[in-house]
Parts: sequence; C-alpha cells; structure tokens
Amino acid sequence: MFVRPDNWKELSPMERRKVRLDNWQNAPVQFMSPEAEANYKERIGRLRKIYDMEPHDRPIADGFMGANEYVVRRKGMNGKDMVYNHEKLREPLLEFHNEFQPDTAVSPLPYPGKVMDLLNYQTYIWGGQKLPDELTIQAVEGEYMMADEYRVFAADPTDFWLKKYIPRVMPALGPLAMLTEFPRVSENVDLIDMILPFGLPPFQAMLQTLMEAGNELMKMLGAVGQTGAMIAASGFPSMGFNIVKTPFDYLGDTLRGTKGILTDMYRRPNDLLAACEAYVPVLINAVVNASDRNGAPAALYVLHKGADAFMSQPQFEKFYWPTWKQVMMGLYEEGIVSYLFIEGSYNKRLQNLAEMPEKSLVCHFDQTEMGPVKDILSDKQIIAGNVPASLMATGTTDEVRAYCGNLMDLFGDAPGYIMAHGCYFENTTDDKMRAFMDSVKR
Amino acid sequence: MSQELIDAITDMREDDVLRITNELLNGGASPLDILNACKAAMEVIGQRFETGEAFIPELILAGEMMTAVSDILKPRMAEEAPGDKLGKIVLGTVEGDIHDIAKDIVVFMLDLNGFEVTDLGVDVPAARFVEAVQETGATIVGLSGFLTLAYDPMKETVAALRENGLNVKIMIGGGQIDEQIRDYTGADAYGRDAMAAVALAKEWVKES
Repeated sequence: MFVRPDNWKELSPMERRKVRLDNWQNAPVQFMSPEAEANYKERIGRLRKIYDMEPHDRPIADGFMGANEYVVRRKGMNGKDMVYNHEKLREPLLEFHNEFQPDTAVSPLPYPGKVMDLLNYQTYIWGGQKLPDELTIQAVEGEYMMADEYRVFAADPTDFWLKKYIPRVMPALGPLAMLTEFPRVSENVDLIDMILPFGLPPFQAMLQTLMEAGNELMKMLGAVGQTGAMIAASGFPSMGFNIVKTPFDYLGDTLRGTKGILTDMYRRPNDLLAACEAYVPVLINAVVNASDRNGAPAALYVLHKGADAFMSQPQFEKFYWPTWKQVMMGLYEEGIVSYLFIEGSYNKRLQNLAEMPEKSLVCHFDQTEMGPVKDILSDKQIIAGNVPASLMATGTTDEVRAYCGNLMDLFGDAPGYIMAHGCYFENTTDDKMRAFMDSVKR
Repeated sequence: MSQELIDAITDMREDDVLRITNELLNGGASPLDILNACKAAMEVIGQRFETGEAFIPELILAGEMMTAVSDILKPRMAEEAPGDKLGKIVLGTVEGDIHDIAKDIVVFMLDLNGFEVTDLGVDVPAARFVEAVQETGATIVGLSGFLTLAYDPMKETVAALRENGLNVKIMIGGGQIDEQIRDYTGADAYGRDAMAAVALAKEWVKES
C-alpha cells in the first residue's frame, strides 16, 4: 500500500519518484538474522543507486527476466509444478538463493493454475492442462475483438473488457455480458437494471465460480507470499512491478491478434488509432491505482509488436509510439518508472526512447546492438540486458563469461546498468549461472 | 502483364487489386497473366522486405490479397498447366511449441517463390517430420520454434532426420534462434526471416 504524502500535489515528477522508491526500499521485512538484514540493505541500496543513476560500487546481475524457471527446474521442478504446486517450489527457491547469493530475488511468475481451470481460460495453455507436464505456459492467439468492434471498444474500453472480452476468453464468466452500463445508473429505478442479473441463476452460478476462484487464488497467494517473504527475510530484495503493455500491444496481442492488427494498419487505420488513444487514460489510471495498492514503484512493459522486424519506423511512429509515450509520460508524472522489456531488437527505435525524460526508463534489451545503446541512452536511462537465452541454454561457461565480460567493458562504468538476460530460458547449468552472476563483481 | 495490378498490390491497395483482377478477367485476360502479375508484385515486396522497406504488415496483407486473387482465379484455372516447382519442402513448428504466425509467413513466401511446401502445422513430433519427408521426397526441411523450449525438439528432429538416412538440408528459424542454436541442433542453416528462408532454399536447390 502506498499512501501519498499531503504535499503530493506540489511535488515534481522526480520528487514523486523518490517518494515511491523510498516507500519500496523501506518496506518492512522480518529478517531471519542480522546478517540477512545487512545483506538485504546492501543489495537494495545498490539497486536503488542504479535506479537513481548515482555512484555505486558495481552493477548488479539480475536473473529475474531470464532464469526465473531455471532456479526451480535445476531441482527437478517442471512446468506443471510452476502452474499448480506453488508450495513445492519453496524449498528449491530457498536453496537457490542460499547457494548462489544473487543480487536480487529470482522466482517463477506466479501462474494461478487452479483459477485458470475454474474460469476455463482460453488465451493460454499450460503444463498439466493441455501442455505436457514438462512445459509451463504458452499464449494462444485469437481474434477476441472483431474488426467492426473498434468503435464500440473506443467508446468505452472498460465496458468492452467487462462484457465482451472477458466472456470470450473466460467462458465461465460469460454472464458478465448481462450487466448494465454502469455510468447510466443514477436514479432509484436504474437499480433494477443494475441488480437484475444478480437475481438470475446463470449469473448467480458465475458468482459461485468466482468465489471458488477467489478461494483458490488466496491459497496460491498464501503459498507464493510466504515463499517471497522467506526469500526477502534471507536477504534478497525484489523490484516491485505491475505488468502493463502498450495500447498497440493490448489491441494486437490480446484483442485482434497479430494478423488482425497488422492488416488493420492498412484496412482501418483511423479506427486503430482511435482505439489506441482511448486506451491511454485507462492504462495510466490502471497502473497508478495498482501502484498505490501494492506499492510497486515501476511498471513492467512486455513489448512485442513495435520491434524492428514487425513494422517500419514510420509505422512505429504513427501507430505504436505516440500513445505508448503518452502512457509512459502519464506514469512519469505520477513518479512511476517504466521498465521496458524489449523483446527482439530496437536498433531503429533508440532515438524514440531518448525522447523520454532522464531516469524515467529502465531499458532491458534482448537482441538490440548494445554499442549504440551505450552511446544514445546510457547517460540518460538505466540499461539492462542482453545476455542471449541461446547462450545460456547451449553455450559454454567460457562463452557466457566472455559475453558478460564484453557487456561489462561497455557498461561497467555506466551510471545505471543491470546485467540481465535478453529472454527467458528453461535450462542452463549452475556454472553458467555463476559466470553470469560473478561477471559484475570483477 | 498488368502494371496497374502490380502497382495496386505493391501499394497495398486491396480493394483496387480485386477490382482490377475482375476487370482484367472480364476483358479477356488469361488467369496465368494475372498470376504472373501477382508474382512480379510479390517479387517487388520481397525485395522491399530484404532492403528494410517492407515489413510483416505488408507480407501478411500481400498474402491475404494473393489468397483473394487466387480464389477469383481458381474456377478458371482448371485448364492451366501448373508451373514446375523449384523443389519440395517440409516445414512445421517443432514439438511442444504451438506458434504459427511466423511459420505461416515462411510457408507463404516459399510457396510464392515456387516451392511445393508441405506444412505440418504446429507441435510436430520428430517422427512426423521423418514420415513427411519419406512421403513427399522433400529435399529441404524447415523447423520453426518461437520459444527457447524449441531448442531441444529441434535438435531431436535434426537427429531423427539424419538417423533415418534422409538426404535433406535443414533450416531453422524463430525469435530466439541464432548461430549458437544452429550449431547446437546440427541444422545446416538458420534464417532470421521469411526472405532468408527463400534465399536458403533457392541456394540449396541450385546446389543439388
């Protein structure tokens, strides 16, 4: 929970950023020993200095975006365990942190398997469900908004999500489509329309399902929360994120699908642009509210269809960048850092990122050439990346050491740098993980 | 060959492409001529893709325009002799991976460039690749995989093809595929995009 100080309105974006980061850095932790407390404070202090681009002793190595499955797979856990058996992950996770002493906490994303089962969730398949137990989770792209629904979406994105998108991707929640349009509920008789669905058997059955899902979620969060608290208590801080996407990626990944969105750029460009615009205030509001609820000082963008290979620079600057930048600027005004996980390459987009105010971004690269990143961005923004997943999975320890060494030559003295993987991978070796983590300690 | 049709395709004017195709047919043009114009247009789009002037939206839209044109031509094409194919290719996304978008673009570009492509779909076991090569007599195999979990299935598929003594060239591609993974899997080459796959396939049929 983040509580704004009384003088919030008078604070500049950078002052607000400081208040949010202070709140994160000083969140109470019950440490298991004075030594764990000292380690935690040293680690979180170093990470904070990197975020503030202030002088510090060395970069950190953060395995969160790459090794988050390896940390449990190395002890025999599989994909199904990561989706369904969160208690079972605790021991391997504590063991990993104890053995490797990483700069930050590393754990798998908390996939809510039983909740996904109850809701009959359609946009993913996962281990123990339709994928073999060994595998974790994969997205199933679909067309969940038809081409002729752009205007309905743009008129009221929240209403579209509640009554069209959610029923389509979670059939167990289909009765949500019965709900009235809430902003018109103003007079006493309007309560009839508002409450009517709650009296109908299909809607009541849905509410029962939601309560079951809620109970399952609480059990899962209990397990995940306990593990997280124990990792923190042992001395390992984690960065707080709320996950978000760009307006274009929400429309492309989630609603229209890749073929849909990319052809819409030609077939209905104005509708697409209007939908991106409509999304901007919704996303700013959503991330600010989430950051206030959970105290996370950063928004993590998983970036997809704006990469070099997907579209031309003029298309990027027309369809992708303007509304995304508006969202990032809106969050910047509220003191929230935008952490960009840039999948693929962004060789042509670096000048766009350079338009953003200083320290507003963490730019985490996958396949982007890091030389130009250093020249164009590293004085202004925090940089992370870009040890290839292919190298971690199939290279030698010496090759990992050499690659990380080159990154240290480039960024070792940069104001803010995080050694990180370009993409997640299932498997590597302990030796390669050590080479990755030790590379920043030279 | 209709320059007007070629221009409409390369300018991505979808409605004009269909209108012009119908006008040409009604004016007595042969379906083969129209098809040749489509191929010429696709060559231009392919070149633009290689030089970084066209991207995935153009490839996808061009693919949809080609499908629409061929739907118009099909009823009139019965008497036209099919052109000679450059070679046979078996292609699919490897076991455990269900991604199809990039694979579909590669299949489309190979098909358009004169190859007979057997598309095995997604989540394809190694044994199915072996069977498909035996059934079709393909000399080239393409393995697609979006995720890092594709590395081992790719390696296993390459091994299965070799163990069965099949004399095929194997290319791999996908979001996290690079030279490191080519070496790991034992494939003959990797390609960054659909045009790289076309270039490799053309080079390999020339060699054989």
